[in-house]
Amino acid sequence: MRRRDLALLPALGLAAPAVAQSDSRPQVTVAVQNISTSNTLEMLREQSNVGTRIFRNFVEPLVDTDWNGDMSLIPGLATGWRRISNRVVEFDLREGVTFHDGQPFTADDVAFSFGPERMWGGGAREVPPAVVQNARRAFPGFERIEVLGPHRIRLHSSVPDIILEGRMARSIAVIAPRGAFMASSGWMDWARHPVGTGPYRVAEHRPDQMLTLEAHDAHWQGRPPIRRLRFAEVPEVSSRLNMLFSGEVQFASDIPPDQISSVESDRRFEVVGGPINNSRYLLFNKSHPVLANALVRRAMSHAIDREAIIAALWSGRTSVPRGLQWEFYGDMYLRDIEVPRFDPAEARRLLREAGYRGQPIPYRVLNNYYTNQTATAQIMTEGWRALGLNIQMQMVENWSQILAGEPETRGVHDWSASAVVPDPSVQMSGSWGRTGAPWLRNQWRNEEFGDLAAELETSMDQQRRRVVWRRMLEIIEREDPGYVVLHRNASFTAKRRDIEWRASQSFFMDFRATNWRA
Amino acid sequence: MLRFTATRLVRAAITIVMVVTFAFVVLRLSGDPAQIIMGADAPPEAVDAFRTAWGLDEPLWVQYISYFGAIFSGDLGRSMRDGREAIVLVLERIPATLALTVPALVIKLALGIPAGILAALYRNSALDRAVMMFAVAGFTIPSFVLGLLLVLLFAVQLGWLPSGGQESWRHAILPVITLGIGGAAALARFTRSAMLEVLGQPYIRTASAKGVAWRRVVANHALPNAAIPTVTIIGFMFGSLIAGAVVVESVFSWPGVGRLLVTAVANRDLAVVQCILLLVAMTMITANLVVDLLYGVLDPRLRGGARKAEA
Repeated sequence: MRRRDLALLPALGLAAPAVAQSDSRPQVTVAVQNISTSNTLEMLREQSNVGTRIFRNFVEPLVDTDWNGDMSLIPGLATGWRRISNRVVEFDLREGVTFHDGQPFTADDVAFSFGPERMWGGGAREVPPAVVQNARRAFPGFERIEVLGPHRIRLHSSVPDIILEGRMARSIAVIAPRGAFMASSGWMDWARHPVGTGPYRVAEHRPDQMLTLEAHDAHWQGRPPIRRLRFAEVPEVSSRLNMLFSGEVQFASDIPPDQISSVESDRRFEVVGGPINNSRYLLFNKSHPVLANALVRRAMSHAIDREAIIAALWSGRTSVPRGLQWEFYGDMYLRDIEVPRFDPAEARRLLREAGYRGQPIPYRVLNNYYTNQTATAQIMTEGWRALGLNIQMQMVENWSQILAGEPETRGVHDWSASAVVPDPSVQMSGSWGRTGAPWLRNQWRNEEFGDLAAELETSMDQQRRRVVWRRMLEIIEREDPGYVVLHRNASFTAKRRDIEWRASQSFFMDFRATNWRA
Repeated sequence: MLRFTATRLVRAAITIVMVVTFAFVVLRLSGDPAQIIMGADAPPEAVDAFRTAWGLDEPLWVQYISYFGAIFSGDLGRSMRDGREAIVLVLERIPATLALTVPALVIKLALGIPAGILAALYRNSALDRAVMMFAVAGFTIPSFVLGLLLVLLFAVQLGWLPSGGQESWRHAILPVITLGIGGAAALARFTRSAMLEVLGQPYIRTASAKGVAWRRVVANHALPNAAIPTVTIIGFMFGSLIAGAVVVESVFSWPGVGRLLVTAVANRDLAVVQCILLLVAMTMITANLVVDLLYGVLDPRLRGGARKAEA
């Protein structure tokens, strides 16, 4: 593609971010595939990777995450915290913080945000039942917020919880002001236009079209670097890139790896990003008569050439993690764990031992819901077929079709998992334990694992927890596979090269002052 | 005439019921809105709660009856995604779509009809071949390909026009041209065919033999008779004003009814899809009704037929 005419664009005033006369800060537009899956901006409702991209720019939790660093927990609206007991954590709240409507942030707002009107139902406002369930899942032992003073609170859990502080970093734990919430006409009305303390305030939200944020100059970190930040919904990749090339937007998100070289062939643009806190994996359904045999699942695990997938489809720009765990788990990260190696001979041996006779195994695949999903599925399917596995790849349209039918009819499907809390209990116990979706859907259950998952969640003995965690990984990734990890997901954003901006290790696009220079 | 109109209105009502029923069954059987809207990562209990809140756990026939009951009481339902009234969501988008489809219709009529007439009048000439070459090209190139080509040329290469969005009248230029060219090409071909057929009729030869000026033959005899098939196509184009730009709206990120329809179908946001289908069906049926009535205006023999049917 020739783009020499782009040299003319600055003269036309198209390439440079628009600048207001009274405010020298730029206006920046980001082309995204989707602004929000639920058409709302309240993370209690918008539990998705899509919402993760934007929310932190306008709302904030007490405990933040070092998105551009080591993903550790850092002060957010709380300046510090301390353990009072295995069920109680005390937080010191930041002073001098104001909400977008000008009201000061106090402990009462924290209590309100975790109260019945916004989160649990049973208060003066009707809360959508799905929201209540999301809250229960994120805070399974939540008991109450105790206000100790204008800027000090205690979070009480009804059960011992080693990651209570980490739960306060989750997306749904952002703080909302009582006044603005109660002034809205209903929960969903609030959710479409929330008020927070973030560096940008929601100025206009046109669902499926445009989200316009404006600088919240009273932000506690100082004036945000961008006067107006817009997220434009542009579903087509080619359209997003065209808008970048023509100067209409400064960022284009969700760029497939095969477009990177094309974008960077013009030195005005570059693609940033890479592996994020999300892993792609393949989920087995033990209720399927063939997959009930762990040997077949283990054989399938050994038949996946992850390095070939990463080289062919990701240009080598991502990596294979050490199982479903993350470096930022700290001392819970087990450095000696590896995913099942690519070993066709071992896979054949396991299939012989299993007595597999070519029975069909359905593999339901969405059309590139995940980047490179279809191509990855095709590569794996051919690998399995080469071993004699009768994999029946079925293209489906949505998650409902993935999960349709009785458990015995479902074989394998794709999934991904994100982690934001620096401990495996949320991701593993919450997702795969007795309250996790695979267990509840009767896709994968293992009693020993279920017991260990419960212990990992409630034990306060970190040494014992490491032992438990290791055994859990052995069971679910090797002995009785519930899934097989493919690779870390990667997120790529095309942008103007003259803007200094770093992609985070998450889907989150950070436009705070600490991550911007143009 | 009254019976003629009444018969068509009854047919129209039946058509609308069939369209809405078909959409209801297909959409509900091909995906659970709760799982789709709540997403893959939502906890099962949250999905169940969503399902219960929206009555999706009821048997399909119960949902169908309550949906139709609501329609007859004037309630077209609410979006399951954000809880807003479906009709409000749809009405919000109609102006944006009309901002594309109405100017595009003008282009289609202004270019397509004269081009078709000229091609027929100068049959087998260089003009005819040139018109038909462009018509075939315009007719066969898919709108998403044409749209992307226009974007590459006028937005990326030349930088003259924006490539997407809806922020000013300039943003509408490329999508309007994309929509207009395809329609104009189709109309030119139909007009040419209709004109050629009429120009071959004995009454045209008779009029010419009687010494009537060629211009008057064309204006008074050929054009009115060739208008009937052309009016059918134009009627169809009018019927497509509301949802005739689905692909173009996606390519140009234009927030009209077409894009809303795509999003609503993908999310199985039933009330919104049904609301759009109702509007589209009503528009299409109204356009057909007007075309039927226009036939009577253009051709007195059809008026007689209508009277006979009435008797």
